[in-house]
Amino acid sequence: MKRMYPAVALAAVLVLSACSTKAGDSGSSGADGSGVKAGKGVTASEITLGVMTDKTGVFKNLGLGITQGNELWAKDFNAAGGACGRQVKLETVDHGYKADTAKTLYPQIEPKVLGFVQLLGSPVVAALKQNIASDKTVAAPASWSSELLDNPYVMIVGTTYDLEIIDGLSYFQEQGLVKDGDTIGHVYIDGEYGKNGLRGSQFYAKKHNLTVKEVKITSTDNDLTNIVTGLKGDGVKAIVLTTTPAQTGSALAANKALGLNVPVLGNNPVFDPVLLKSPAANALDKLTIVASSVPFSADLPKAKDVAAKYKAAYKETPNGGIPYGYAVGEVWGAVLKKACENKDLTRDGIAAALKQTTSASTEDLVAALDFSKAGTPATRQVYAATPDASAEGGVRYVKPLFEAPEAKEYVAPHQK
Amino acid sequence: MSDTAVKSPAPAPPAPPAKRDRTRLIKALLWIALLVVLLAIPLYLDAAWLKAGQYMMIGGVGAIGLTLLVGQAGQLSLAHAFFLLAGATGYTVLSGPAEDERVFGLGLDPGLSLVGAVAIAALLGLAFAPVSGRLRGIYLGVASLSLVFLGLYLGQSAETLTGGTSTGRTPQPFSLFGFPFTNDGPEIALMGVPIRQAERTWYLFLLLTVLAYVIARAAVSSRIGRSWRAVRDNEAAASVMGVNVTRAKAGAFAVSSAYAGLAGAMTVLWFDILKPDESEFGTYGINISIAFLAMVIIGGLGSVPGALVGALIVNGLPQVLSLYSADLGWFSGTGDGALTPILVSSFVYGAAIILVVLFEPGGLAAIGRRITPSKKRHLPEEQGK
Repeated sequence: MKRMYPAVALAAVLVLSACSTKAGDSGSSGADGSGVKAGKGVTASEITLGVMTDKTGVFKNLGLGITQGNELWAKDFNAAGGACGRQVKLETVDHGYKADTAKTLYPQIEPKVLGFVQLLGSPVVAALKQNIASDKTVAAPASWSSELLDNPYVMIVGTTYDLEIIDGLSYFQEQGLVKDGDTIGHVYIDGEYGKNGLRGSQFYAKKHNLTVKEVKITSTDNDLTNIVTGLKGDGVKAIVLTTTPAQTGSALAANKALGLNVPVLGNNPVFDPVLLKSPAANALDKLTIVASSVPFSADLPKAKDVAAKYKAAYKETPNGGIPYGYAVGEVWGAVLKKACENKDLTRDGIAAALKQTTSASTEDLVAALDFSKAGTPATRQVYAATPDASAEGGVRYVKPLFEAPEAKEYVAPHQK
Repeated sequence: MSDTAVKSPAPAPPAPPAKRDRTRLIKALLWIALLVVLLAIPLYLDAAWLKAGQYMMIGGVGAIGLTLLVGQAGQLSLAHAFFLLAGATGYTVLSGPAEDERVFGLGLDPGLSLVGAVAIAALLGLAFAPVSGRLRGIYLGVASLSLVFLGLYLGQSAETLTGGTSTGRTPQPFSLFGFPFTNDGPEIALMGVPIRQAERTWYLFLLLTVLAYVIARAAVSSRIGRSWRAVRDNEAAASVMGVNVTRAKAGAFAVSSAYAGLAGAMTVLWFDILKPDESEFGTYGINISIAFLAMVIIGGLGSVPGALVGALIVNGLPQVLSLYSADLGWFSGTGDGALTPILVSSFVYGAAIILVVLFEPGGLAAIGRRITPSKKRHLPEEQGK
């Protein structure tokens, strides 16, 4: 029993001495010699940006690609002189696509960074929504739901899911694949991604008197044959997908096998080049993909430049995350330079600079972005592409950046 | 933790009263010491570690509830995650602002809402009694699993309550008698440390965990606990001794659900959001039910302190390893073959379950009992460690 006394004594000593190692939150932000105000994550020589990515969970390939794109950008940005004479440094953590891990890691990384160049995963973004708002950390989520735009600190680089689908359906109509009054099917994952895409087809259907057969699935349903059979019975003229690549493959294979053979529309996340080697490979010709960021192998000067730099620096198989990660960096670079002009590198200064950014150019990696209107997607333009095994990266453009007239009229959920 | 167990007073072993008093005094001192350490932690650890600690406490509260049901009353349940969702939704709806047009809220006081959430979960557990009273063992496990799928469906379709999968909804921050558990309100500092949201929530969760623990210990060592164990060991014999079997079973399920409901309300406060899952794996999915079962088995079926230790391992390990790996660069590999904090902790608690089942069916609680200086004991399953 005596062995317990030391524990008691130790606890008492700990509390009584109370030489707490925790410093109070001083939040010191002074101006440096050139009169630039600096806050959290900014020193005299460095600006630290955070990356919360998935290196080990279900989206590890995409997460790694985006992170490598971020790193390539930081290298280029620093070589070009950085911002306010400061170099950009990236602080990366891996949350493994788990919201609970991300919630715990956030307070650890937050004091070290000015903002986030990457927040991957919709469950993670949802869990951190309140933190971002109360800490005023501008963050670029790797999730393109327009529902996220009620948060002024969220910076979505690209077109939101709903607008992608509107643009895509308009392209279908232009090609004569659907007519006013037709019935179309929409298979969606019940979640942030799928439901936001569904908003798009519902809006377009209202405009053009289409009937939408909505089919709700979960991300773990992998055989869509029954669903496509049902849609065939409904007499659909086209199918819209906001699903995972595996589900896309299943739906397209069924589309062909059942002799339905209608055109299929999907946005960026529905396609993965892996499908070209899957059993569904010979059914992919019916698919059209609309996306706001370019594939790795895009025939654009900037994309080629990024691809060449990537091959020099990394060994992994490239994916579409790399140009996107680079593009987000470019937007951050524009915002940082704007904040430098305003001589304010605090978090408030970054948020203000973001609002003044009306045409962030990424040299067409994504369309020009306008962040000045709260709650409004920064762009409404998309590329249309189709799978093509002979093209590098697995897709071929069928239409360069465009914006449908219906997309102009669309009011996003948080648009003022 | 391990040398701070309390034993329910043994039925008067012939020991001199002076010695008994001394033992009791030492035990009390130990408990006070542990509590003092737990109270002092926010003064020393950063917000990220407090966040991890809070997550362990959520696991602890839920695991206590499950250990009462599975270990004490002998009813296997995989529905724990469903009751977590019920408590989470209950708190969010009861405390949500009444004038929101998108989602339904009653605008009640958060403290009252927390009690309400526990009551709602308990009632739902009671509603399941007709099923749980008729089934046993693995059949009950499978039947209760259906509730998790029911929760998935309801969470997605009852959008006015849960906010739906695409956005979820923000719960009302907790406050007690007007004192907010956020960064707002009065500026408080203890010994130079500002007591803000992370610290305040730590104390709130600590209070709830202590309450949960004390109530569970009391239940186990009272008539209620004895009736549960009687039903678990032999229903016919229990009937003969005058235990109302149906009532004991229903009561155990309701109590366990109430604990899960409290853990659920703590979960939304911890996440700052209520977001129903998009598939059967998630915050309120099968994986959570299984994690709670793992805590209970590792800790030792039926042991209340064991459940807390199990929660430390199952909920704490991934969190702590992630924090360390970010700090020290451990397990920072990428790609397919990488050892990650989450993978490592899965291995650890998977191995722990196998070792427990093979070598020590009583779990960590039994090991604890063996290494503490023991006197004559009565029913071992009645004790903690």
